[in-house]
Amino acid sequence: MSNTKTNWQLIREGILTDNTIFRMAISLCPAIAVTSSLRNGFLMGSAVLFVQVMVNITVSALRHVIHPKIRIPIFMLIISAWVTVTDMGMAAFAREAYREMGLYIQLIVAFASILAKAELFASKNKVVPSLFEGVGMGLGFMVALVIISFFRELLGRGTIWGYELIAAKPLLIMILPAGGFLTTGLLMGFFNWVDMHFFGGKGAGGASGH
Amino acid sequence: MNLKDIIKITLNLIVIYIVGGLLLAGVYAVTSPIIFVKNKEEKEIALKKMISDAQSIAKPENGDWDIEFNKKPKHVEYFVAKKDNQVIGYVVETYGKGYSSFINILVALDKDLKILGINILEHGETPGLGDEIDKPGFKGQFISKDLDHLVLVKGDANGKIAAITGATISSRAVTKGVRAGVEMITKRLSGESSGVNNEQH
Repeated sequence: MSNTKTNWQLIREGILTDNTIFRMAISLCPAIAVTSSLRNGFLMGSAVLFVQVMVNITVSALRHVIHPKIRIPIFMLIISAWVTVTDMGMAAFAREAYREMGLYIQLIVAFASILAKAELFASKNKVVPSLFEGVGMGLGFMVALVIISFFRELLGRGTIWGYELIAAKPLLIMILPAGGFLTTGLLMGFFNWVDMHFFGGKGAGGASGH
Repeated sequence: MNLKDIIKITLNLIVIYIVGGLLLAGVYAVTSPIIFVKNKEEKEIALKKMISDAQSIAKPENGDWDIEFNKKPKHVEYFVAKKDNQVIGYVVETYGKGYSSFINILVALDKDLKILGINILEHGETPGLGDEIDKPGFKGQFISKDLDHLVLVKGDANGKIAAITGATISSRAVTKGVRAGVEMITKRLSGESSGVNNEQH
């Protein structure tokens, strides 16, 4: 599969048509675990964006020297190295956020979406398209987390980014794990509905090209 | 798999491991001193908040102790607060085993071992229910309580500690933790070697 798409198309697809959470439905675990507040959702999205871009660049740059038989262990090594860099960087420079989500940062190693992009795209394409593909996927992930956590924080805590908007807590269940499933499912359904009614798409599942 | 493949795979792994290791070592060298200093600063700020008019809060020589959960000891410390070289109080670190996490608590006491206040440093209790332990309404109940009144009750407090509705386990964990801390420091300071009754009344 050689890439024929423009860089702009790659970014657009990562955010919209191939959105990790809403369209491909992978890496749902973090989408539910860290989205109980908008700030956490945004920070997790940023961390994943950084890791995805760095992994894509590294894998793509090394694609001719990596022996195909051991490519997966090597991808995993590259991913865990960049995740550890992110982890240590956040522990030093973003303390507040790290205290709340340090545990989840290390889990980025196991995100299906990152390995999938490394294997399906970066290992077969040049560095520049891989970079844009990583940016697109990372932004798509971030946007999804921001949307989910916006609704969960607003309904579960009555706040947005920690600022109180509603004095009460309208729906406490939204910040509990069950609320994560409900929000993600309803949003996924909503985006499918929009896609089918306004853009003539087929909805998630059948839509993804690779 | 021929010899060429084997050599290539070996070289692949060696190079990737070395480069990855060097990258991590470099980032570690830059970040670890910052992390160390910030951890220390945060702890000092947290301690200072407990007794605001103290000039220094430091760990005494025998400031280490263990708190037991299911036979597994957890290491904690206590600190002596001084002003003009006079002891004005103590800060005791302690833990309570909550509903879904260990609750890390600081207890501030004056020099007569009366509770000045408590603070929850860290916990992972249920948002919206258990995390009410970190609200002033619950924490404020501990001020001036002695060992006889450090007991959790449901409903009317009656001079004791009232449990948070829907979060009895978290409330009890904090009460027990504070109690263990107060008992420990009482024992340490009176120099008693005999055990203090640890049961809940």
